[in-house]
Amino acid sequence: MKDTKPRLQSLIFEATQRCNHACLHCYNVWQPAGVSTYPRGELDTSRTLDLLAKALDETSCPHVTFTGGEPLLRKDLPVLLEFLQKRNTRTTIISNGRLLDESPLIELLDKGVSLFELPLLSHQREVHDALSGVPGAWDAVLAAMANIRLQRGQFVAAFVATRLNIADLYETIRLAFAFGARALMFNRFNPGGRGRENMEMLLPTAGQVRRALAIADAAAAEFGLPISCSIPIQPCLVDTRAYPHLGFGYCAAGSERAYYTLDPLGNLRPCNHSDLILGNLFERSFPEIIAPAHMQAFMDARPAFCDSCPKRDECQGGCKAAAQVCCGSLRAEDPFLHHNRGEYLAIPGI
Amino acid sequence: MSISRRDFIKLFGISIASLMMTRCRIGPPIATCYAPMPPTDLPPTPPASARERLRWCWQRFGELAQATRDQASQGEGSGEDTLGQQMVADHRAALDELVASGEITPTVANLVQEAYDAAVYHVWRSNAPITCYEPVIVDYAPASAGVLVQQAEILAEVAGQGEIDPKTLANAQAALEHDLAYYALSDADLQALYDQVLAEYQSNGQPIPSFDALQLEVSTDTSAAAQFIINLLTGK
Repeated sequence: MKDTKPRLQSLIFEATQRCNHACLHCYNVWQPAGVSTYPRGELDTSRTLDLLAKALDETSCPHVTFTGGEPLLRKDLPVLLEFLQKRNTRTTIISNGRLLDESPLIELLDKGVSLFELPLLSHQREVHDALSGVPGAWDAVLAAMANIRLQRGQFVAAFVATRLNIADLYETIRLAFAFGARALMFNRFNPGGRGRENMEMLLPTAGQVRRALAIADAAAAEFGLPISCSIPIQPCLVDTRAYPHLGFGYCAAGSERAYYTLDPLGNLRPCNHSDLILGNLFERSFPEIIAPAHMQAFMDARPAFCDSCPKRDECQGGCKAAAQVCCGSLRAEDPFLHHNRGEYLAIPGI
Repeated sequence: MSISRRDFIKLFGISIASLMMTRCRIGPPIATCYAPMPPTDLPPTPPASARERLRWCWQRFGELAQATRDQASQGEGSGEDTLGQQMVADHRAALDELVASGEITPTVANLVQEAYDAAVYHVWRSNAPITCYEPVIVDYAPASAGVLVQQAEILAEVAGQGEIDPKTLANAQAALEHDLAYYALSDADLQALYDQVLAEYQSNGQPIPSFDALQLEVSTDTSAAAQFIINLLTGK
């Protein structure tokens, strides 16, 4: 019998909605508190194990990324990781690093965590702490990076590019490299969650992003450090061909490379930036939830601005999840595109 | 150490695909080590016989790799493996004909298909670009000596600025020195380290078995499926 399970490269699991940081750029769909109507709460250990088992039983998925909130706030995290380890499922943890002291870190590595993704928002303490919304964040994340390397773990650093820190990019890459980061993610600020409220303060211009990418491209070559731009950047605003050392990607919703996101209550969404609940895994099967009937509207959505663009099917207008969260429609313009329309470039060759 | 029959046949398929991709084809001896093998001459249309069509499917990995790269560079679609899906369907259809004619059992056919599915996915994934939220491809190999020296220089400079907590710096430097120490080892040191790791592993009651002693949970059907693929590709 041919295996008809949906094949996924990875699944994102939002282990908890609780967090010990208050990042200005936070895109969690349940933020801001008191404004977002997204369902809140989390299941106990037993039900969470049931949820993960069902997700993995109903798909062919070799990798789970734990995120949050801050996943280390879950006391049962080692139990969940051990469960996945026994199923030969690789795990990544996205964390702010605050709780990654030596003892918990060793336990997490023992439970098979193969990669940590940690934010490094600046080489300057005050900038990183201001963006993280709490004092001590910078010291904590550097301590976590040093600990991980000392314990033979691996981490990548994530730089969220905002108006407040984009000028710090080169020195930040340098610091991440010195601490042993195996790669760096350059994520241009993508409004959503609490970040919506800070959009004017944080959203960089296309010109700022272009200059930052030139710096990142040179740094990638200088340090031999892989740098990827994980949030889509529209080629009509930034000619990505000018940065050969960087990796660029576009929305993969609906494909095997999609990052379906499971919240702590079992609600499944197209990705972690989207607040669109496709269904609950306790009520329907994974294949039913991601069937084309549910996903097609998300996959097909393009803003009218992109109608005549030959790159529209690749770029898809950027991040449609941000468009929906910020403007209420999947067919609205991604805020980065909307706010930078004045810098639209007709790129030769496209 | 054990490996399930399903994992075995998938790995087998991927291995075959990798060999095909590097043109490591079984054939007459070639004159030199590095002589490039000629491109596979694929027939323009699928062959008539089911067995030849099956063989044709296994020879299309280069085409799949190229199509995947072309798709990415031309911005067609968002990651759908159209050619790969077609290849999988063609392979299944040819297998079904062989099952219908009694040349192969349904169980073995399913295993052969499992191997092919894994091979197609492997080739496609190896050539598809990084995408949204793919946390880059992490190289788990030890950092080179050059990188470590560069890191040490920057770390020393950062330390001199006095901003970073001394304990954190000490940990970062200890980790770096540990990595650097590896490169200072002589061949004899490395062998001693290897022997030590081996002894520690074996002291945990997990002696490293020889290949022949590996407990492969490979059934007769799985062996038959693997042999079928080899025979198919070697023209037996």
